[in-house]
Formats: sequence, C-alpha cells, structure tokens
Amino acid sequence: MTNTRSPIAWEAIEALLHRVQKPGRYVGGEVNAIRKSWETTGAHICLAFPDIYDLGMSNFALAIFYELLNVRPDVLVERTYLPAPDMIAQMRQAAIPLYTLESYRPVSTFDILAISTAYEQLYTNSLELLDLAGIPVRAADRDAKHPLIVGGGHGTFNPEPIADFFDVFVIGEAEEVFPELINMWQAHRHLPREGQLRALLDAPGLYIPRFYQASGESGAVIPIDPAAPARILKRLLPTLPPTPIRQLVPNVEVTHNRAVVEIQRGCTRGCRFCQAGAITRPVRERPAAEIVESVAAILDATGYEEVALLSLSSADHSEIKPLLEALLDRFQGRHLSISLPSLRIESFSVDLADMLSQGRRSGFTFAPEAGSDALRRRINKDIATEDLLAVATEVFARGWRTLKLYFMLGLPGEIDEDIEAIIDLAHRVRRLGLDIGGRKTEIHVSVSTFVPKPHTTFQWAALADRDTVERRQGLLRERLRGRGLRLSWNQYDGTRLEALLARGDRRLNAVVEAAWRNGARFDAWDEWRSLEAWERAFAETGFDVDAALYRPRAADEPLPWDHLHSGVEKRFFLRDYRRSQAGELLDDCRDQCHACGILVNYPGMWTAEWECPEQGVGSRK
Amino acid sequence: MNCELRITDYESRITDPQSPVTNPQSLRYRITFATRRTLAYVSVLELGKVWERSLRRAGMPLKYSQGYNPRPRLHFAAPLPVGCGSDADLLDVWLEASVDPEAMLAALADAVPPDLSVVDARTVPQDEAALSEQLVAAEYRVWLRDVAAADVQSAVTHFLNSDTLALAKRGRKYRGKTYDLRPLVQELHLEDAPAPWTGLWMRVGTRPGATGRPDEVLKALDLNDAPRRCTRTRLVLAS
Repeated sequence: MTNTRSPIAWEAIEALLHRVQKPGRYVGGEVNAIRKSWETTGAHICLAFPDIYDLGMSNFALAIFYELLNVRPDVLVERTYLPAPDMIAQMRQAAIPLYTLESYRPVSTFDILAISTAYEQLYTNSLELLDLAGIPVRAADRDAKHPLIVGGGHGTFNPEPIADFFDVFVIGEAEEVFPELINMWQAHRHLPREGQLRALLDAPGLYIPRFYQASGESGAVIPIDPAAPARILKRLLPTLPPTPIRQLVPNVEVTHNRAVVEIQRGCTRGCRFCQAGAITRPVRERPAAEIVESVAAILDATGYEEVALLSLSSADHSEIKPLLEALLDRFQGRHLSISLPSLRIESFSVDLADMLSQGRRSGFTFAPEAGSDALRRRINKDIATEDLLAVATEVFARGWRTLKLYFMLGLPGEIDEDIEAIIDLAHRVRRLGLDIGGRKTEIHVSVSTFVPKPHTTFQWAALADRDTVERRQGLLRERLRGRGLRLSWNQYDGTRLEALLARGDRRLNAVVEAAWRNGARFDAWDEWRSLEAWERAFAETGFDVDAALYRPRAADEPLPWDHLHSGVEKRFFLRDYRRSQAGELLDDCRDQCHACGILVNYPGMWTAEWECPEQGVGSRK
Repeated sequence: MNCELRITDYESRITDPQSPVTNPQSLRYRITFATRRTLAYVSVLELGKVWERSLRRAGMPLKYSQGYNPRPRLHFAAPLPVGCGSDADLLDVWLEASVDPEAMLAALADAVPPDLSVVDARTVPQDEAALSEQLVAAEYRVWLRDVAAADVQSAVTHFLNSDTLALAKRGRKYRGKTYDLRPLVQELHLEDAPAPWTGLWMRVGTRPGATGRPDEVLKALDLNDAPRRCTRTRLVLAS
C-alpha cells in the first residue's frame, strides 16, 4: 500500500482497470486538465461531483470553479468523481482510497473538499464518496487534519437532511464567496476545526450547520451561537462572471460531451413549480458580443464540435436572434453544431431551432407541463392549447418528425380531467403530425411526478399520494398507445425518495446515514438504487415517511428551510400560492415588477444586465 | 469480439460512403502516433473523437464528408482494444488544403492530450488502398503481474500445441457463436520484462473478419484476471 499522503502509484490503479467497465473514467489525462506543484501551492482544493465521471464531467458548476480557482497561483485545484459500483468494489478490495484525476493524490490529503449538492439523489453518494476517501462521514467525527467539507449547488437551499455530514454550505452563487472562504481558511488553518469554522461566520452566504439547531416538530432551524446569523441571504453576483474558456475535454464519452456557454442566469417566467427559476433570480444576461468571443476562444482551446448555450429559457435572451445569426456567420464552414435548451412553446422558438438545424431535423422538445388550460394557469405556464397546437403544426411543417412533450403529474389542484387533457392533447398533436409529417412522425410523452420544492410557490403543498399518481399513470398507459406514440414515466418510489430528501429536516440525517450504511447509493439510478436499504432505514430509525410527505404545510408554520433566504420573500410565494389556487396568472416580471424581494434584498446591486426594471415594484423596464 | 466488424462500424460513422475516395480537392496525410497510460483506456470511437479535436485545436483544415451529418474523414489502420496502448499506430486524415508535414507535426505536438504523441506525419497518394486493407498482422507486447513465469510458459506451450481454440464471440448479436482463435495467433512467446512484470510477445493476424486480440489470447491462456500493461508495438502492412 502507498503512503497515505503521497500520490497513488499508477501501477496500483492500472492493476484494477482491466476488471471494470469503461476504465477511462478513472485515469484523467484530459486536455486542459491543470497540474500544479503540490509543494508550491498554499491551498489544495478538491472539487467533487458525487456521481460517475460521465455525469460529473457534464456538470457546468465544476467547470466554473475549476477555471476560476486555478487562476490563483497559490491555489491547486483537482477533481474527483464517484466511481461506478464495480470500481468502488475493486478499490475497496485493493485498499485504494478515492483519488483525484490530476495527481492521483488521495482526496483525504486535500485542505478543502467541495462536494456538489446539485440535487437530492446525490446525498447518499456524498457519504459513499467521503467513506471511499477514508474521511469520517459525520462532521462531528472530523477534526482539523481532515479536509474541510463544503457543499454547494441548488440542494443547499434545503441542506438540512445532510447538515450533519458537511462543515459548510455555500448558499447561492459561489464565484465570490469560494475564494473568500479559501482566504479565511488559510488565515485560520492552524486552529482546531471549531475555530476554523467560527472564523468563517464572518463571510456572508456561508451556512455552518454546527452553529444551529432544529427545533420542534416543524424542523425550523435557529442559531445556537450568538455570532451565527439567524437568516442567511444567498450570495449573488451583480453581473455574470466570465464563462470558462479552457474547458476540459474528456477522452472518453460522457453525457454532455460539448462546450458550454452560460448565456443567461435566472428566469423571469415565474413557473410556480420551478425551484431553479426562483433561486437563481434575478435574470442576468451575458451580452451577445461577449458570448460570440467566448465561443471562439473555447473552440480554439478545446476543438469541440458542439456548443450548448446554457440558460433556463433560451428564447428569453433579449439578443437571442442576433446572437445566433452572429454565431452562424462567424463559424460558417467550421461544422459547429449549436444547441439551445429550454425553448418556450411559441413560433419564435421554432424559428430559432430552424436557424440552427441546417437541414438536420432531430427531435423537438416542448414542456407544456400540464394538459389543460386551467391547470396551466394554476402553475403559471401561460400557453393555451390552441396556441400549442399551432406551434406543433409549424414544427411538423418545417420538417421535424419527432416531438417530445414533457408533463408533470400530481400538481397541486390536479384532477382526473387534467389527465384526460394530457391524453387528448397528445392525440391531437399526433394526428397533426401524421397529417403533416406522415407515418414516421413520433410523439414522445414524458410524464414526471411533481415534487413540491423548497423556495417555490408550491413549497406548502403535499406530495401527491401513491394511489393517485399510479392510478393516473395507469390512465395514461392505457390511453396513450398506438402507432407513433411513446410514453415514459417515473416510478413512484424514486419520486417519494426525492421528495423526502428535498423537503426533509434535520431528523433525516439519521435516516440518510442508516440508508447508506444499509447499502443505499446512486439513488438516481434505476439499476443501482436500493429501495430496500431505505425501507430498512425508515424502520430502524422509526421515521414516519407519510407524515413528512403528505401533510400540506400551514401558511404560518415555520419551514425547515426558512433560515436560508433566496432573496425571494416567503410572503411573495404565499401571495402567489393564493393566486394559483384562484387560477390567476402572474405576468413575466421583466415586463412589470411584482416585488418578489430581489430588488429590496440586494439594494444598490442592480446593473443593466438585470432584466428587473430598475425602479422596482410595478415599474417597467 | 470480431475486430473487423468494429472497424466497419467506426468507418461508417466517420466517413460518408458516397463521397469519392479520390477527391482532387482533398489531400491525404498519414500520421504515426503512440498512446500510453490514460490514452490506452479509450475505445476506438473515443480515440476518433480525440483525434478530431486534436486536429481542430492544431488548426488543421479537415476535409468533411457531404450530407446531413458531415464528419471529418479519418481512417485508422485498426482499432486499438480498450486497455491497450500503442508504440506506432497509423491514421490517415484528409485535409482541404496542403499543409507541410513538418508544420503539422509541430502544431499537433502542442494540441494532443498528454499521453498521445505524434511520431511522424507524411503525405500519401490519394489512390492508395485503405490502411485497414493493407494491414496483415499486428504485434503486441503484454506485461503481466502477479503471475509465475513458469505457469505462463506452460499455458503458452499448451496454446501453441492446440490445433483449434474455440472462444465465444463477443457482443449480443453473436450470443452462442464461437470462433477459432488459434489460427489468428502467428507467434506467441515469453520475453524479458522489467520486474515485477512477466513479458509476453505475440503476433496476430488481421485478415478481414478475423482479427486476433491480445485480451482474447489472455483469456485462452487463462490469464484473464492478471493485471497487465498492453502495447501494440507494430502494425504490419502488406508491402
């Protein structure tokens, strides 16, 4: 065995690789990977994505911090991902701890280990990752000789179910606070862990769970240390930081194997189920000219043949059409494909896709989310069925033969008629497709089950119960059959777990740990997930799942995530929830400010890149 | 798995069968390259992408196929098995404009991933047969660990004394089918290797539809579980 502080010998890793699937995940060697001297750098940071390489290499947050932090000459940044189960077994058998892909150093030797908490199904994987690294999973069992464990990503807007395992959570955008955290840690690295963490209380936007406790049945979290703020406001950048240029180029195939430019952060649409749209406000746009220059620089540095323009609602970028024209013009003849995710259902979107596809017509995707006009009003997705059909007509007329429609099931206020409406809509779209596009036309209907997420208008809602969801899925299965129709849906067990982890309070830590000890990991993977491990954990800990999931929360009740503040006020969500129940829409807020709280919570930060009207409430941009 | 089929699969993806082989607009170059360590663990499809991107980073004016899904024209002589590096593999690429081979070498040296190195670049006649058609044999050096040299020697002797060696074909569509590995192995013997390795050397035939692979030979030798370092040392072309 190797000395635990020095890099793992290549020969030790090599000896395992013929026994595992896709060994290229475990060796690094990517173009644009950065190797620095361990001895001449003062802070050693490991960025971890707690799922397999294929997904982790596709995660844009890691790309941002890899480039941003590596710019500092005093900081060394390396990466690790959770190996697939076959490699985990080989590593454990050979007593090889989790290592980074740049220097093959054990993760446990780094100063700071930042783990992505992008979504709930990564939580048991985080424990597996810590354990594979030889690091105690509970913060209370660690001291200053272990890496500081930092969590960041959308999951930190309710991190209570994993509060016992992390030392620090970054709330909101980390581009400024991560470097601050490194500086503060460096200044206090000689202190015991408690002292290091106490020093970090000075940085706005850091949540350090050990200085708080959860109280009572509600799970509300309050400080137990006078220096700890009662409420932590998310960190926010006034303008988008430069997009990463020297992006890593994997040697093996990964989920999204392409360049990425973030063109816009935040969303003004106000869909009531959408957590990403709420917690990433306000909308900030990257100017088109900057995007074009960034794409050019990225292509030179990577050789990629595809670039994705990342945002929550691409067509909302105010310069989207001139941007695409400029990109097509600039990279003409270079065989660059451009992908534009998250298009709204309108003919403008079809125009944009038409510009990019240049003769190729792969699938087109729309997300009506609900089947009926009435339910779409409740979720604030303002698109009428007739308009949707008109856009579908255009999609087929311009040559697309596959249309994907995304829906959610179990939305607050949903009735069986709304499911009938999904069925009816799918059949009408299919008939349009057959008439215009011919026999090869295919409609893919994908129905996921709604999970009420923290920091959204629907945060007070209960999860739809199993009987209702499975009965409605049965209706869809029965009626969405036949030529040219394909249906996919989520298993309820996975949804239930996601809801539990999304909405849970601190009591869930014992459950998460018990489930992991019983073998739960890869909760997002149908082939690797272990529901049995979770069921045993519920029994062992006496946790009442039904009480946690099926009780709507009262308006005046404290919520387990109230101490974390996205900048959008709880009373805004509550007013919006009442509007939803009354079937009232709320307009796009770039046209008129609805006082969500962003402008008052970030006074003086407004810039021209914001889509918020500068004057605030009721005003127009 | 049958190697030849993999070549076909790859070529059908990266080339357009309709495009004329002798397009006067395009120029054909042959690159000799080596891969080691991390680059030994990529599949042939992935290595194709590594090369496309390296050539683009190097600013090479790649010739693309026609059609809805234009792809650069790249032809490997033979796919490298996953887990196998190479001392001297061959790749033909087509460019739209003439590039001095020395300049190409220099540009590629800075553009390839760390464990890929470019040994040589030269022009070849447009009408020369495809590399895969010229290939007759490949030589491999396989170093093994945690094995006794005497055991390896007796397995090799047994192998060489066999007239036939049926192995299961790999891949779902060949389930239940077997092929004879023995005639594909032209030479097989132990050779010196630094400690702690035990060295094997083999030369396998690469007839169309019947290509020997070193991992299949290891399987036949019952050395499938031994840690190994595999390198293709030479591709033998029909002269």
